[in-house]
Amino acid sequence: MKKFAISIYAAVTVALLAWGFYQAIYIAPADDRLGGQGELYRIIFYHVPSAMVAFLFFAISLAGSIGYLSFRRSRDAWAQISDAWALAGAEVGVVFCTVVLITGPLWGRRAWGIWWTWDWRLTTTLVLWLIYVSYLLLRRFAAGPQMQTLAAVLGIFGALDVPIVYMSNRWWRTQHPAPVFGGDADSGFKDPRMLHAFGWNILAWLAWGLLILVLRYYSERRSQKIAAQDVQDALNA
Amino acid sequence: MKKLTTSLIFALPVVLFGWACTLLLLAPAEPPFDWMNSMSVVDHNALVAHIDHHYTVATYVITWAIQLGYLAWLGLRWQTQKRGSARSSRNS
Repeated sequence: MKKFAISIYAAVTVALLAWGFYQAIYIAPADDRLGGQGELYRIIFYHVPSAMVAFLFFAISLAGSIGYLSFRRSRDAWAQISDAWALAGAEVGVVFCTVVLITGPLWGRRAWGIWWTWDWRLTTTLVLWLIYVSYLLLRRFAAGPQMQTLAAVLGIFGALDVPIVYMSNRWWRTQHPAPVFGGDADSGFKDPRMLHAFGWNILAWLAWGLLILVLRYYSERRSQKIAAQDVQDALNA
Repeated sequence: MKKLTTSLIFALPVVLFGWACTLLLLAPAEPPFDWMNSMSVVDHNALVAHIDHHYTVATYVITWAIQLGYLAWLGLRWQTQKRGSARSSRNS
């Protein structure tokens, strides 16, 4: 039943991604205003939703880390579930953040003429990515009973950067454009078809992200169960 | 058959990544600063649109290379765990 539900959800996600792609390429008009970006602005349909999904998954990682620290002494099963969510959120968040950090410079190269600049939004995003990559390295290479606790603390610390990244181009106006929503009068979409395409792509990437998040969560739970079984076998031997 | 499928799943992100790199490498050179001396506005706009197209396609392709690469890694991890759990249950 679980497999069937995941298959249906995966099919709906693929359909949403195809629809989002169609909206982004064929329905949304080119940005032909004076000084507009023509076809190049279509990068926004992959770049910004990826950033939004990354933020959401880092928030899930934060919740999982707090859950682990709360339950680690009282309810071991809940602590392990929280830890699996924290790891899944961080790992899938890093995947989406990597997309943001690669698509951004490609866009910047054409729009600004440079691959990278130490602008606040770019720098804080890179720091966020580095913190969560160090979280994953800690999970991969550290051993011992304190590893999960240290990772949870680092996960909470890393999540503190998310609001700073989000607010960076509101607090400090430098190279990166103003936010799509809640920015200055010049920001935002000028044509409703652009907004629709953007909305569909947010939905599609969110659906895709949730799919791989759940797969990663089940994979981690399975890994925890195998480790617990190995410990049990060693004690019985 | 299983091995072929696994190879294809891993080959796809690599091919996509290669495609994106090729698009970026083969993108035409930027028009010179004093392009007005050597080309018309229509030619200039066509050239800029062509370069933009290369970058936009490369962005979309690289996004899928990363996402499918991660999915392939998840699939491989899943298979490894399946074998590990089967071995574990045989031993116990």
